This record gives sequence, structure tokens and C-alpha cells, in this order.
Amino acid sequence: MEPFVFFGGKGGVGKTTVSCAYGLRCARDGLRTLVVSTDPAHSVTDVFDQPFDDTPQPVEGIEGLDAMQLDPEDEVIRHLDEIRQDLSEQVSAAMVNEINRQLEMAHGTPGAYESALFDRFVDVMRDSDEYDRVVFDTAPSGSTLRLLGLPELLEQWIDRLMYKRRTSIDLFEKAAIGKNEPRRVMEGDPVLARLEGRKAFFEYAGTALREDAAFFLVLNPDELSLNETERSIEEFQEKDLAVRGLIANKLTPEPDPDENGRGARYLRERVKTESAHLETIRETFEPPLVAEIGWRVAEVKGDLLSDVAEELEIETSVEAPTSV
Amino acid sequence: MELADRIERYRAILDEWLRGFYHGLISHPAYEKIEKEAEDAEDAFMLACFPDAFGIPSPVSYYTAELLPYLEDEFEAWERRLWDRGTLLERKGQQYHF
Repeated sequence: MEPFVFFGGKGGVGKTTVSCAYGLRCARDGLRTLVVSTDPAHSVTDVFDQPFDDTPQPVEGIEGLDAMQLDPEDEVIRHLDEIRQDLSEQVSAAMVNEINRQLEMAHGTPGAYESALFDRFVDVMRDSDEYDRVVFDTAPSGSTLRLLGLPELLEQWIDRLMYKRRTSIDLFEKAAIGKNEPRRVMEGDPVLARLEGRKAFFEYAGTALREDAAFFLVLNPDELSLNETERSIEEFQEKDLAVRGLIANKLTPEPDPDENGRGARYLRERVKTESAHLETIRETFEPPLVAEIGWRVAEVKGDLLSDVAEELEIETSVEAPTSV
Repeated sequence: MELADRIERYRAILDEWLRGFYHGLISHPAYEKIEKEAEDAEDAFMLACFPDAFGIPSPVSYYTAELLPYLEDEFEAWERRLWDRGTLLERKGQQYHF
């Protein structure tokens, strides 16, 4: 299977647990594995009982498994600081304020978080040479998903911007006939160079996501989760990204047949509705149901994580990446 | 002063006048037109980069913000032109020097 594996789904369905369990499984099968989480709630820290930050760190007690946690807010601020740094080097003090206003506006737009996360995801994919497998635990929002389908759109955007920039520079060069110095020159234009770099970045992201990434959706056996999953599958299809499989998490355990108390009756009813939902998934959803994971009494960590890892019927073998 | 020198002087003055006349009549408006067109193209570029300056959120403004440090002159000129511009008609009309 592809070197990059993404787990998505509605909030609270257990993406982090599944991602960590799958990471654990890959590591056990002898693959150098990295788990990347974008959950601001820092659930990876909870699962492995160990703090993580935005650089890969080995998970204690598990050979070959690293983990990192990205915070969208930090990423946006980092991006902002980088530009501010450039700004203070390039721009005269009088203009800095003016431009700063514009800059802050750009970082306040909806989508800045998603863009920041997307950037980091792609960075991680790009620098993942030392890992055989990178597991992404995506943020629980529809926009993250949409972003994964965005590279193509963004590429076209950048193309149009570059075309516009070239047109205006070309005209400025033409306007400077004779000994006049043109106001802008095509050669070495830093704006074009930047756009060019961005374009290459999106191109890489596009190929990596289309050819080297597998997507799995985690869901719970209830109607809301089912509906959301159905929508997500459609969205992925529109973006030409195939969902490889579905993982049903938090299934209610069935009581023993001889039990007949109030709790047992409740559980039995619950199991009945859930199996109806699972049946719907099997019959009407195109991606296969690759794992059914039951409710755990305790938080899933330690040995319980191993149990969950066993229940995941997702292969771990890795194909060489096609995008380099 | 020799006659030749005087002729030379007249020719130089005439030459300068002719060049100025030609420049004012033909070449300057031509440069100006092209330059205005270039500015318009640049405005379109800036607008595409920073539509949020007008309250239009853009999926790429997070990325185009990276260009801001390199767009100092453009940014200033862009703002100035936007303040200065009544209508598109006015902008296009400027080249005729009524």
C-alpha cells in the first residue's frame, strides 16, 4: 500500500486512536513509521502517555515508531513571523505598517488554518525519506478534506497569477523604450520566483496525494456519522481521491444470551440498531468495511492499543513512492 | 562667430525642438499608453492577490501574503491608483489630455 495513509472522519469518532493503532501495527511489522496528528486536543499525547510537539519524536517503548503533533494556530503564527521577517528586510519602515495591515487581514481569512496545516502536511511528506510509512490523523473538519483536493485548483490559481504578473512586466518593459529604465524587469523578478516555488509545491502535493496516499474514513455506527461519511466519500470521489476503506469504531458489545437485566436489554437493542447500520454500510457504501472495533471500557492506550491494532484489517506493506 | 558655427547651433536647437515635438506628439503618449496598460495589468494582479482588501475572502491570500515583502512599490502605487481612480472611464480618458 501507499507510503502515506490518511485517516479522516467526523469529530469524536476515534480517528486518533485508529491512526495510532495503525501506526503501531506498521511499526510492529518492521516499518519506520511516523504518526502525524493535527488534533489541537493533543490526543496523541494521551494515547501514548507522552508529550509530543511539532518535531518527530520516538514513542517510548515502541521500536520504529515516531509521532508528532501539529497545532494549526502555531503554524499560522510561524508563517506570519516568517513573512514579517522578510518584510523588515525588504520594505522601508514607512510602508511596513501599511503592508502589515494587509498581512494580518490575509491571515485572518477563513481557511488560513487549513492552509497552514496543508503546508505542514506537504512538508512532512516531502521530508519523509527516513520513514517507510507516514500516518496522518487529519483534523475533524470538512475543510481539511476539501483542502486535500485543492492542489489542482491552487495550481491553476498560481498559473493565472503568474500570467498576470508576466503580462504587466512585459508591458512595463515595452513602455521603457530607448534609454529608459523599465519599472519592472522579468529577469530575476522575486514575485515570479516565489510564485514559481509555490507552484512546484502544489504540483508535488497533487501527485503525492493522488498517487502515494491512501484514505480511510473512521465512523461510528450511528446515523449522523453514516451521513457524514457518505458525503465525505462523494467529496473524495469528486476530487479523484479514492477512499480505500471504512473503519467502524465504538461498536457496542453484545451481552451474553442468558443475561436479561435492564442493561442487557439496552445493549441488545443498541446492537440491533448498530448492526442495521453496519448492514447499510456493507450494502450501499462502495469502500469496504475494513475494521470493526468495539467499545473499550477504559481509554485506548497501552495494551488496549495493541488489541485495537490487531482488529485493523488494513495491510501494512509499503510500495515505493512515485512522487519524489 | 563663424557662419558654420551659427548654422551648427541652429541645427542643434532645431534638432532638439523636433525631437521634443515628436516625443510630445507621438512617442510620449505611446509610452504613456503602454505604461498605463501595464499599471492596469498590475492592478489586476494585485486584486487577484489581495481580494480580501475589499472584503472578498480568497483561498490563496494566505499564500499570496508571502509576496507582500517583494511588492512594496507595487502595493503603494496600487493603493494610490485606487484612491485616485474615479471610474474606469476616467482612467481610460486620461490618455487623451483634454
